[in-house]
Amino acid sequence: MKNIEFWASLLGAIIVAFIIAIFVPGEPDKKVVYAIEYGGLIVTFLFGFMILAGIASNKIDISRILEEKGASGTTTGGASMSRFQLLIFTFVIALSLFLIVVNTGDFPKKIPPEILTLLGISATTYAVSKGIQAGSQSNGRSNNGAAPPNPDANPPPAQR
Amino acid sequence: MTGVARLVYWEAIILLSGFFGLIAWRLFTGEISLNGLLYGDRRDRRKPSGYSAFFSPGRTQLLMVTILTAGYYLLQVIHDPTTFPNIPVAWVVALGGSQAIYLGGKAQSILLGIRDLIDRRTP
Repeated sequence: MKNIEFWASLLGAIIVAFIIAIFVPGEPDKKVVYAIEYGGLIVTFLFGFMILAGIASNKIDISRILEEKGASGTTTGGASMSRFQLLIFTFVIALSLFLIVVNTGDFPKKIPPEILTLLGISATTYAVSKGIQAGSQSNGRSNNGAAPPNPDANPPPAQR
Repeated sequence: MTGVARLVYWEAIILLSGFFGLIAWRLFTGEISLNGLLYGDRRDRRKPSGYSAFFSPGRTQLLMVTILTAGYYLLQVIHDPTTFPNIPVAWVVALGGSQAIYLGGKAQSILLGIRDLIDRRTP
């Protein structure tokens, strides 16, 4: 019972489905279909809206959504290009799908392979980028214990 | 439009525009920071942390190719919003190549950096 919004959403959807099933006139088999459709849609919307409200009220913190760890693993390394391009492509594809569904009134029969390629390239780059980052951090740890040596602190013999 | 379709339509508008609007707003106000987007880390023994930041041409070209590809795709969809548009193979190859350059540059600078050059100079 920690998350009151979750239970309120679920209860609201069940109440709507119950009202449709009892009070809306029509054939019983169609009423069951309507009740499930409306109940499902409402609960999906309310879950999405809960996340949206959480982000808007800063309960869900997305301020570091584009940040990546620095190569040394100790400091933040600023915004990540691979995360940013994945975000752009996700929004572009989502917006395209929405426009197509609104204009045709139907979900596309076939998702073209180019779209999957586009998102696949983008997501693979993000994954490989994370791998390189993790590799550099573990490499640094295994080579030096903590961080690579600082030659300023211990200059080579020629500079002494 | 039936009742269910109308409900789906409004749900999608509210949720999509909400998510898009929130992220866009936070990007513009700086709550989601884009600092260092075009700067990468490279291995550098002269720094106490072992790494130094540098302006990365690989990131810059990836940003340009990403914006061009996304913009091209969105324009095609707006022009004919009944089907997913076909993307020319050249665009996909350009995007793949651009991402490969970015990843290659990142791997080179983080895993090797200027360490080798310094090692060769120092006796």
